[in-house]
Amino acid sequence: MVLKKLGWLALAMAGAVAWGVLALHQGETISAAWLVLAAVGTYLLAYRFYSRFLATKVFGLNDRRATPAERLMNGRDFVPTSRWVLFGHHFAAIAGAGPLVGPVLAAQFGYLPGTIWIVFGVVLGGAVQDFVILFGSMRRDGKSLGQMAKEETGPITGILAMVAVLAIMVILLAVLALVVVNALKDSPWGIFTILCTIPIAILMGFWMKVWRPGRTLEASIVGVVLLLLALVGGRYVAGSAGLAPYFTASGLTIAYGMIAYGFVASVLPVWMLLCPRDYLSTFMKIGTILLLAVGILIALPPLKLPALTRFIDGTGPVFAGKLFPFAFITIACGAISGFHALVASGTTPKMLTRESDARLIGYGGMLMESFVAVMALCAAALLEPGVYFAINAPLSTLGGSLESAVGVIRNWGFTVTPEQLQGLASAVGEKSLLGRTGGAPSLAVGMAHIFSSAFGSGLMALWYHFAIMFEALFILTTIDTGTRVGRFMLQELAGHVWRPLGRTSWYPSTVLASGLVVAGWGYFLVQGVLDPLGGINSLWPLFGISNQLLAAVALCVGTTLIIKSGRARYAWVTLLPLCGVLTVTLTAGWQKIFAADPRLGFLSHAASVTSQVAAGAVDTSRAARLIFNDRLDAVLTMIFIVVTVLVVLSSAREWVLILTRRKPARVQESPFVETAYAG
Amino acid sequence: MRGEGGDKGKRGSGEVGLRGAFRRALSTVRRIAGMPDYSAHVEHLRRYHPDRPVPTQRQFYDEFTRSRYGDGPTRCC
Repeated sequence: MVLKKLGWLALAMAGAVAWGVLALHQGETISAAWLVLAAVGTYLLAYRFYSRFLATKVFGLNDRRATPAERLMNGRDFVPTSRWVLFGHHFAAIAGAGPLVGPVLAAQFGYLPGTIWIVFGVVLGGAVQDFVILFGSMRRDGKSLGQMAKEETGPITGILAMVAVLAIMVILLAVLALVVVNALKDSPWGIFTILCTIPIAILMGFWMKVWRPGRTLEASIVGVVLLLLALVGGRYVAGSAGLAPYFTASGLTIAYGMIAYGFVASVLPVWMLLCPRDYLSTFMKIGTILLLAVGILIALPPLKLPALTRFIDGTGPVFAGKLFPFAFITIACGAISGFHALVASGTTPKMLTRESDARLIGYGGMLMESFVAVMALCAAALLEPGVYFAINAPLSTLGGSLESAVGVIRNWGFTVTPEQLQGLASAVGEKSLLGRTGGAPSLAVGMAHIFSSAFGSGLMALWYHFAIMFEALFILTTIDTGTRVGRFMLQELAGHVWRPLGRTSWYPSTVLASGLVVAGWGYFLVQGVLDPLGGINSLWPLFGISNQLLAAVALCVGTTLIIKSGRARYAWVTLLPLCGVLTVTLTAGWQKIFAADPRLGFLSHAASVTSQVAAGAVDTSRAARLIFNDRLDAVLTMIFIVVTVLVVLSSAREWVLILTRRKPARVQESPFVETAYAG
Repeated sequence: MRGEGGDKGKRGSGEVGLRGAFRRALSTVRRIAGMPDYSAHVEHLRRYHPDRPVPTQRQFYDEFTRSRYGDGPTRCC
């Protein structure tokens, strides 16, 4: 007992020392070991003490109470599953491109702000959100976030939440597609590999459905092997003067290709493309993340990025805006992600064997995702700062040539030479890495560094393209599943207007709804590709704001659940992160709309384009498009803000009514049934 | 619906030795990836619903895939 306490005390001290080293470090480089130690130490303490407090005091998890998986077991979706298997399953469902890309972009402020937000954000915010929603859904037979919002706070809130989710989905798909476009443009190796994933997935689909029904693992092994062959084949294609031109495409061509792909994938039967692709990317995701963790622990690379850069003043090239609030907006997934509330209230609650398992899966699963974000941050921070900015600043800022880019970066105070940039580009098998915004390419360079220093050097190019393929693969999976989900939501909403439109099996309705969803995200994608600043500049903050506003909605629902269950004295566990997210997102949203700096504010950017037209610097048709997009982005941000504020207000009204005893505190949980499981 | 529990989610039980361990490992991988587990489903039907017909591997796969992608997001960003 005493020994155990001493162990926790030692861990707390080690974590505190690591944080101290991270914060006070002066000098050229710092080992990634300090970052990993600070993060893991904090996670372990938070899991041991805070999540236990949440489980026992706030939620009152009760292992005597039968879970939906036990009561409704059907061997298909309601299946009692052992907790570590479910942990893996849940983690694979919540982790995506978000936690990988956000920290890389936020590295423009230095490594410290991102690390602090990722680690403390998850412990007090993101993991609490996932846990409370998983708990709520588990007590309600696996109901979705929207249904819980509707039942606990009223039908208007439910519909508002649905509209918000749909709008967020459109922005999410556009921004992730843009990340892929920027990683693949003018890269025959990358394009060849990604194109190959489509016939590979179709082959797997036929394998599992027609040739060897149900043999999913067999088909997946074949798929993974073919995928690795395609990766190696890509090198040959890129090196061949005859083949390379066929696989070299501009950003715009790739964008239209992805739009067509998204539409087809949403309309085709799922077994043919969507489902096999989902399995393929799940295996690649888990495998690569494990590999990355092992690689970082073996290599423990020195981080070359400073703790803080000069760009905390808001003048950074990767995205506009000051440290507060934009560091918090840029890193959404990894610290707190509203999207998880949709997953935590879907499949996972139907598979919990015991109530207490929700702690490991809800809270622990999110800690794991946060660690992925920490690894991504390490991968970005190990690059020379000059290299990092050469890859992540837009081409329009860097100028067209290596020499001009080096000059611009020197002016920012970072040294880098044209030879260094050219050498790196050829080492990874690309013509140029300049201005490849979106985070994926610099993450891939960082990952290639880690892999080749951990597992033997000489394969930089292969590792780089492996990392690009891995990111593009599961972003495309998000795009096809996301388009499909968006389609269902649109059909459900449209069904309120005219009933036949709500029938998901009616083909015209399916085609129409798929077309509308694809057109929605496709529009933002194309505008992002055409944007002179690279698109990520305006779209990523919009995504971060919308995702965290969704988190605010989830935390509102969580607070309502806690207050209604008669434990209002503990409601601070969700109210605290709710206040935090609202402060950050409302400030950021307001600045994005109204800031006077045209780099930051949508409306002032529109005004500056107008004055440029008057001066004759921009032609009118292009200006009209830019101005329209600025206003559209401003309106969209305003809608996000208004919807969220309405949800918060209607929830707050409910809380006040209950706390002043004008309304009884009664939850809509499924009735208690004693478990049949022993112990 | 009550009283169906008791196996705590362990599947592919009943087999011992290397072969059984291998099958259990495969079943674990399947369930982490969210894949259908046919033998587990058959065992579930045999134990709790002996009156119901046992679907073929292919029927089960079709039904599982449909319900998995039926509605709601299964993946995050």
